[in-house]
Amino acid sequence: MSGEGEIVVIGVGLAGLVAALRLAEGGRRVRVLAKGVGSTHLSGATVDVLGYAPFRVRSPAATLPEFAVANPHHPYALMGTAVVDDAVTWLKGRLSNPRYVGDLRRNFLLPTALGVAKPTAVAPQTMAVGDLTHGGCFVIVGLPGLKDFYPALVAGNLGSTVGIAGEAIEARAVDVDLTLDGRVDVGPLAYARRLDDPAFRAQLAARLHGRLGADDMVGLPAVLGLTDAEQAWEELEARLERPVFEIPTLPPSVPGVRLYGALSGALHRLGVSVTIGGEVLGAETHGGRVTGVHTETANGVRFHAAAGVVLATGGWAAGGLEMDSHWVVREPVLGLPVTGIPGGGRRFLPGYFDHHPLASTGVAVEGSLRPVDGDGRVVFTNVRVAGATLAGAEPWKEKSGDGLSLSTGYHAAMSMLAEED
Amino acid sequence: MEDLIRASLDHCIKCTICETVCPVAQVTPLFPGPKYEGPQAERFRLPSGSADASVDYCSGCGLCTQVCPQGVKIAEINSRARAHFKAQKGVSVRDRILARPGLTGRLGTPVAPLANRVMANGTARRLMEKAVGVHHAAPVPVYAGHSFQRWARHHERHASPRLDGRSVVYFHGCSVNWFEPDLGRMVVAVLEHNGVEVKMPRQDCCGLPLQSNGLFDAARRALGRLARDLSAGSAGHAVVASSTSCGVMLKREGREILGLDDDETLRAVGARTFDVCEYLLDLHGQGLLDTGFRPLPLTVIYHAACQQRGHSMGTPALELLRLVPELEVIRSEADCCGMAGTYGLKKEKYDIGMAVGERLFEQVRRVGPDAVACDGETCRWQITKATGRASVHPVELLFRAYGLEL
Amino acid sequence: MESIETEVLVVGGGATGLGVARDAAMRGFATVLVERKDLAEGTTGRYHGLLHSGGRYAVKDPRAARECAAENAILRRVAADSIEDTGGLFVTTPWDDVTFGDRFLAGCADTGVGVEEIDVADALRREPAVNAGIRRAFLVADASMDAWKLVWACARSAEQHGARILTYRRVVEVLRAADTVAGVVVVDSRSDEEMTIHARMTVNATGAWAGQLAALAGCRPVEVVPGKGIMIAMNHRIVNTVVNRCTMPSDGDIIVPIRTVSVVGTTDSPVADPDQLEVTQAEVDHMLDEGEKLVPGFRHARALRVWAGARPLFGARPPGDDDTRDITRAHALIDHAERDGIGGFVTITGGKATTFRLMAEETVDLVCRALDAGGPRPCRTAVEALPDSEPGAYYSVGSRLARREAHLLDDQLVCECELVSRQTLEEAVERRPTANLDDVRRALRLGMGPCQGGFCTYRATGIFHRLERLDQVTANTALLDFLQERWKGVHPILYGDQLRQARLDDWIYQGLMDVEHLPAVAAAAIGSVA
Repeated sequence: MSGEGEIVVIGVGLAGLVAALRLAEGGRRVRVLAKGVGSTHLSGATVDVLGYAPFRVRSPAATLPEFAVANPHHPYALMGTAVVDDAVTWLKGRLSNPRYVGDLRRNFLLPTALGVAKPTAVAPQTMAVGDLTHGGCFVIVGLPGLKDFYPALVAGNLGSTVGIAGEAIEARAVDVDLTLDGRVDVGPLAYARRLDDPAFRAQLAARLHGRLGADDMVGLPAVLGLTDAEQAWEELEARLERPVFEIPTLPPSVPGVRLYGALSGALHRLGVSVTIGGEVLGAETHGGRVTGVHTETANGVRFHAAAGVVLATGGWAAGGLEMDSHWVVREPVLGLPVTGIPGGGRRFLPGYFDHHPLASTGVAVEGSLRPVDGDGRVVFTNVRVAGATLAGAEPWKEKSGDGLSLSTGYHAAMSMLAEED
Repeated sequence: MEDLIRASLDHCIKCTICETVCPVAQVTPLFPGPKYEGPQAERFRLPSGSADASVDYCSGCGLCTQVCPQGVKIAEINSRARAHFKAQKGVSVRDRILARPGLTGRLGTPVAPLANRVMANGTARRLMEKAVGVHHAAPVPVYAGHSFQRWARHHERHASPRLDGRSVVYFHGCSVNWFEPDLGRMVVAVLEHNGVEVKMPRQDCCGLPLQSNGLFDAARRALGRLARDLSAGSAGHAVVASSTSCGVMLKREGREILGLDDDETLRAVGARTFDVCEYLLDLHGQGLLDTGFRPLPLTVIYHAACQQRGHSMGTPALELLRLVPELEVIRSEADCCGMAGTYGLKKEKYDIGMAVGERLFEQVRRVGPDAVACDGETCRWQITKATGRASVHPVELLFRAYGLEL
Repeated sequence: MESIETEVLVVGGGATGLGVARDAAMRGFATVLVERKDLAEGTTGRYHGLLHSGGRYAVKDPRAARECAAENAILRRVAADSIEDTGGLFVTTPWDDVTFGDRFLAGCADTGVGVEEIDVADALRREPAVNAGIRRAFLVADASMDAWKLVWACARSAEQHGARILTYRRVVEVLRAADTVAGVVVVDSRSDEEMTIHARMTVNATGAWAGQLAALAGCRPVEVVPGKGIMIAMNHRIVNTVVNRCTMPSDGDIIVPIRTVSVVGTTDSPVADPDQLEVTQAEVDHMLDEGEKLVPGFRHARALRVWAGARPLFGARPPGDDDTRDITRAHALIDHAERDGIGGFVTITGGKATTFRLMAEETVDLVCRALDAGGPRPCRTAVEALPDSEPGAYYSVGSRLARREAHLLDDQLVCECELVSRQTLEEAVERRPTANLDDVRRALRLGMGPCQGGFCTYRATGIFHRLERLDQVTANTALLDFLQERWKGVHPILYGDQLRQARLDDWIYQGLMDVEHLPAVAAAAIGSVA
C-alpha cells in the first residue's frame, strides 16, 4: 500500500538499509524497494572509512579534514566529515551479533584473503582481533573443500609484512581435516551454517588442539557461524585459549550476510515493508519533486506515492549507474544527471592499476545529498542520493566503501528528518 | 533478438547472491546451486536442451530470481532446462499424477472418506511410495468430499450480500476446490464483508504443477484455458487469487516460462490479477477496508512462501494482520518450507524438502505459536505435517477477526 | 651453453609450425620446434575459430576456396576432436546485393565448395536471432575449431613421433655456415639461458613474424604484411551456426559460435609490428554495428573480451591500398636456396588455420627434397588422425557440462564460468611441469568466461601456490599478471554488463583484498604496469 508521507528507499545495500532504518527510527513511514539483494553480501562488512589518501591512513579522524580539502567533490567533503563519526557511532549501537569495534581515531590493519594488511576503521570484533598493527604470531587455518580461501597464500604474504613500527609478523598456515560430510566443493556459507552448531565448533577446536603455539593468534576464514557469530567466536576463543579472528573470503561474504540480517531484521521489527525483486522502473515528478515511483510487480507496473526518495541503488556493479554500447552513461531509475564523464572517449587506460578517467563518475550532490545538475542546481528537492551512486569517490581504491555507504545513507536520512522537523 | 529469459544470462556477474538464498543447495550437494544451473550451465546448452540431471533437484521456489540484483531470470532458465531434461528422460507416472490436481481432485472427491483413509494408512503409503514414488511420510492433502464450485453455485443463487458496486472474479484454484473449500468460503465472506461482489466462474488448473513437472505443452493448454474461463466471466473486473503460487502463475510465470507472451487474453487477465491480501491491502489504501477487527489474542508466525515473494508485492498479509488488535505476528526466519509445490512429496526429494524446512520448523517448535499463517497451500500442509501446529491462510485470521462465521 | 642437433628445426609454435613438426616427425625426421612464448600464443590463438568451408573465398580467391574445401573435409576426419560441427550459413542481409548470391553459388560450384541454398524461413528457424530481413540463405560446411586443442594435439602427436617441443625459447641468432643456415641460438626467456640448435633444415613458420626471422637469417626481404584483425567474443552463443554475410569479404561479416561464446570478426588493416596490436574504440564500434546487421539487438548483448590477431599476408601491398584483404589468403612456401641462394632454410607463411595441414605437407615435401631424404617419405597427416580424435566424433559445447555433472560430488569447480575443475587444473600442471599460471589459463580457458577471472584468479593462484609450484613472490606476480592480462582484453569493451562485471572484480580484488598493496615485489610489478 502506498500512502502520503511515505519515504521510498530504493536499494538494500548498506546505504539503503542504513537510510531506511534511520528514517524509520526517526518516525517516518518507510518503504524499501529493491531490484534484488544488495552488495552487503559481497562486502567484507568491515567499515572502511578511509584507508589510503593516497598513502596509508593511520587515523581517519586526523586525515579526513585535509582529505576533504584536497577532494572538495568527495561525498565526505560535501557532507562534512563529522557525519562519518556520528554514523559510525549510530551503527555500532545497532549491531550486537557480532558487535562492532573501533572508531575513527585509528585504523586497524586487518589481513585480507591475500594476506595484505588493509586499513579499516570499524570491524566486527570477530575480525578486529586480527589487527596487524603491532605485529605478532599468526596461524591461518584452512578448511578442506573451501575454495574461497587459501591460508598458505595469506600466511606467506603476512610473513612479508610488518607492523607500523616495524614489528615482526610471523605467520604460518595449517589445514584442518574437518570436512563437511566429505564435500569437496564448499562455499563459505555452508561452513558458516554448520559452525552455528556447537558440536561442529567443538570438532574444529579439537582438530586444532596441539597444533598451536603459545602466542599464536588464530585466523580463520570468515565462516564462524551465521546466526550466532558472537557465540561461536567466544566459544572458539575459550576452547582454543587464544585470540581467534576471521578473515573475509571471496563472496559470498558471511559477515556481509550477517550485517544484512541484523539491519533488515531491525527494519522488519519496525514494520518497514521491504520488497526484494521489486525493481523501480522510474518516477513521477512534479514541480521539482518526485511524487512517486513505478515498480515492476508480477502483474505489471505499480505506483507507490512517495513524499521523499532515497536513491541507494549502488554504482556500476549494482546497476545504479549504467553505460550502454554507445558509451552513453545514465542513472537509470530517476534519470539524474551524471557528472565526471570523461571526454574524448578515453574512459579506461591500458594498465589495470592506472587512474582511470571513468573512476569517480557518478551523481553529483550538494551537502544534504540532494542531486544537482551541472550548474549545481538541485534537481529534486525531496530526493537524497547515497552510496556508490555518488560521484567523486573511488571507494575500492580509497578503501572507503562501506564507510561511504554508511555515512551517506545515514546523512541522507538525517537531512530528510531535519527537513521534516 | 532472442528470448529474454535466455538473454538475461548476460546480466550475471557471478556475484553469488542467488547462492546465499537457495534453500536446496543449502542442504544437499546434489544440487549445485542456481548460479551453476542457470546462467552458467545455460552457456553450455544447445537449443535442443541438455541432459544435466542435477537441474532436476531445483525445487522451483524462485527465490534466486527474486534476489538477483542484476535481473537474471535464474529460476526461469532452470525451469526450462528442467523441462528439457524431463522431455529427454521422460516424465514419470508419479510426476504426471502430481501435475494434475484437477484430475486427482475429481477422482478423489466422490470417494473422499476412502481416499483419505488410504492416504492416512502407513502401509498403503509405503506401497504407494514403491509404486509411484510419492514419499510415504509426505503431507498429502485431505479431500473435503465436496467441491468449492458446488458451494459457489449454491451461494451465487441464494446469497444476497450487501455490496457497494465493486466486483471481482475469484480464482480459487484446485486446492480450494477439492481440499480446502472452507478457505474459499472465507475468502468470499471477507470480500463480501467489505462490499465486494465475488464472481466464481467455472475454472480448472492453472498448469503450474504441469509446468514444474516439465510438461510444458499441457501447462500451456491449461493456462490458456484458465485465462479464457476467467476472462469470460470477469468483464474486466479484477481477478483475486488465494493461492499465491497459482496467482503468480497467472500474473507472470506462465507467460515468461512457458513463452506465452503473445497470448493477449492471458496478458490482460494477468495484469488485473491480485493476490487476495494484495487486493485487500489496496482496499485499505483507498480507505475502503473495514478495519473494525475484534481482538484476536493469538500468536502466529507468518511465513511468506517462496511463491508469495514471486509476486514482488511486498508482504501485504503481514500488513493486514498488523491491523488486528492483540494479534502477535512473528515473521518467519526461513525462506522456504521445503515443499515448493509438489517437490517435497517426491520420494527422492522428501528428505531434502524436510531439511530445507527445518529452519522454519525449528522456529515453530521454539516459539510454539497458536498457528502458522502462510499464503501457500502446500506449504501449510508441509508445516502442519512437520510441526503438528495448525496452519492457516492469513485471510482465515481476518475472517475470524471480523467475527464472521461459515 | 647447451647445444643440440637435429635434422629439422621448426621456428614458430602456431598451427603451421606444429603441423610441420608433426608431419616431419611422422616422416621420420629428427625434429625440434622452438616457440618464443607458449604454443598458439600468436595468431593461431587469436583468430575467430572458424574452420572454413571455403565459401568465404568462393568468389574472391578461388585457390584459397579450393584449398579450404579440401582441408575442411580432411580435418573433419583427422581432427574431429578439435572441431564442433556447427555448419555455416551465408545470408544476404538488407545491406547486401541480392545478386551476389548467384556469383556465390557459381564460385562454390567452381571451387568444389559444398553449398545449398535454403529457404529464408528455414534459416531463421535454425537461427532465430539472425536478422529477419535476410533475403537469401545458403548452407555450407563451416565449423568452429578450437585452435588450442588442435595445436596441443599436434604437439602431443609430434612428441609421440620423437619431436621435441621447446616453448619460451626466443631466437636471438640464426647460425650461418657460408651460404647455408645451420641452426639458431635461442634464449630461454624464463632462465635467460642460451641454447644452440644445429639443424640441417630450419623451417621459418613464424607467420606474421616471418619477415623478421628471414632478415635475421640474412635473406632478401620476405614480404609479409601483418594484417591486424580484431575480434569480440560475446558472452554466450547468440547463434549456434557460423553466420556469414553473403557478400565480398568485409569487416565484421561473420559470427562464429565457438565453445561457449560467439565471436564477431573481423577487421583487416596493415600494421608495421605484429606485436603492437592496439584495439581502438572506432574498431569496436564498427564491429558492433556490423554485428547488429547480422543479429539485431547485438549491441544489447554482452561483450566479453576483445583481442586482435596479426594475419600473415604474403605479397606486395598495392600502393595506397590500406585494405590488406585484397592479398591472397593462400599460403606461400619460399625455398630460400632457390630464391636467395641460402640453403637449409625455408619459409612457410600466409595461409590460414584451416589450411595449416596442407601448408605443413607442402613444406615437409620440400624439406624431403632438400635433404635428399633417400626415397619417398609420403605424408600421412591427411589420413592419420590426431591423438584421441576419431573421424566424425566432434566435440560439442555441452561436453564440459556433461563432464562436470559426472564429477559434481568428487571434484571442485575452480573456474565456474568455463567449468574448469580443480582436478583438471592440477592435472594440467602435472602434465606440463614448466607451465606457468598463464599457460594453464589459456590451455584450459580458465578465467575466460563472463567474470574474466573475477573469482578464479584468486582460486587458481591459491591452488598453484599450495601445490608449491609458486613461491610467494611469483604467486603475487602471477596474480597481478593475470589481472593485467584480463584487463587488456576487457577495457576496450567495458560497457553494459561487462562494465558491471569489471567493477565487481575491482571491488573483490581492490576493495576486499587490497591487491594493490601486496608486499614488496608485487608493488614493483604494479609499477611496471602503470
